[in-house]
Amino acid sequence: MSKERSARPDVAEMGDTPLPRKSGELVFHDDWERRAFALAVSLAERGLFEWKEFQQQLIESVGEAERGDPQHPSRSYYESWLMSLERLLKKKRLLG
Amino acid sequence: MSDHEHDHDHPHGAPPSPYHRSERTGDRNKELTERVNKLESLLIAKGLVAKDALDKLIEIYEHDLGPMNGAKVVARAWVDPDYKRRLLEDATGAIAELGFGGLQGEHMVVVENTPKTHNVVVCTLCSCYPWPVLGLPPAWYKDAAYRSRIVIDPRGVLREFGTALDDDIEVRVWDSSAEVRYLVLPERPAGTDHVSEAELAARVDRDAMIGVTRVSPP
Repeated sequence: MSKERSARPDVAEMGDTPLPRKSGELVFHDDWERRAFALAVSLAERGLFEWKEFQQQLIESVGEAERGDPQHPSRSYYESWLMSLERLLKKKRLLG
Repeated sequence: MSDHEHDHDHPHGAPPSPYHRSERTGDRNKELTERVNKLESLLIAKGLVAKDALDKLIEIYEHDLGPMNGAKVVARAWVDPDYKRRLLEDATGAIAELGFGGLQGEHMVVVENTPKTHNVVVCTLCSCYPWPVLGLPPAWYKDAAYRSRIVIDPRGVLREFGTALDDDIEVRVWDSSAEVRYLVLPERPAGTDHVSEAELAARVDRDAMIGVTRVSPP
C-alpha cells in the first residue's frame, strides 16, 4: 500500500468516534470486528491467500446468513466475516 | 457508544438495518472476542501476521482511506479535462496518479453523471467497494434491503436519499464485484466556476460518489 496517503482523521468517515455525521456511520461496533478485519487484510497482503478467495467465501457466508430472511440475517456482517476467515484458513490448512 | 443515534440522521427511510447496530449480547460478544483472540494468537505464533503490522493496518483503514481521497479525484476531474479523460478511460491508472490504490482498488471504473444520466453503485452479492477512494462501506451499503431494492426500484431508493430525478433522466445501476469496482463522477454543481479545486473536493461526499445523492450547489 502506498504510504503517501495523507491522514485526515477530521474528515475520515470511518473513525470509531460516535459523532453524528451527515452521511457517516460507524463501521466497527466492537473491537473484535476491527481485529478480524485486519487479520483477513493482512493475510491477503502477505499473499497467504488471494483477496478474491476471501471475497468468495464472504459471499457464501453472507448468503447463508440471509437465506432465511434477508432482512433478519442469522448473524451479523462481521460474524460472517470471521466465519469466512476461519473457513478459508482451514481450507488452506494454515491453522493445522 | 450509541449506534441508535445514527439511525436518526440517516437519510433514507428504509427500515433500520439489521447490520446497523450491534444487537449482540455481552456474552456473545465475549465469545466472539475470544474466537478472534485465539485466531490472532495462533497466526502470530505461526509468524503469519505481526501485531504491529495489524495495528498499522487498522490505523490506515480507519484514518487514511476514505471519501476524502475519492473527493480529490472528482475535483481534479472537474478542473482538468485531460485528467477526466484519463479517468474515464483508465480509472485505476488515473486514481493511482493521485497516490491512491491498493486492496479493493484494482480494476476501477468511473461512470460519469450527466444532465441525462444518473449512475448509482451497488454490490448485489456482498459489499465490494473501492476502499482506497471511499474507505470502508457504510452499514446500509451492506444491507440486503439496499442491495436488492436499488436494482428493483432505483428511483424509489434514490428518493429516500433525497435525490429526486426527472423522468427523462436515465438511471443506471452498476453492480460492483471482485472484478470491477465502480465510482460515480458526480456532476459539477452550477455556480462553482471560480471555486478552487480544494474547495470543490470539500463539497464532494461519499454518498454522491456511490451515486445515491448529487453534489449540491453552494
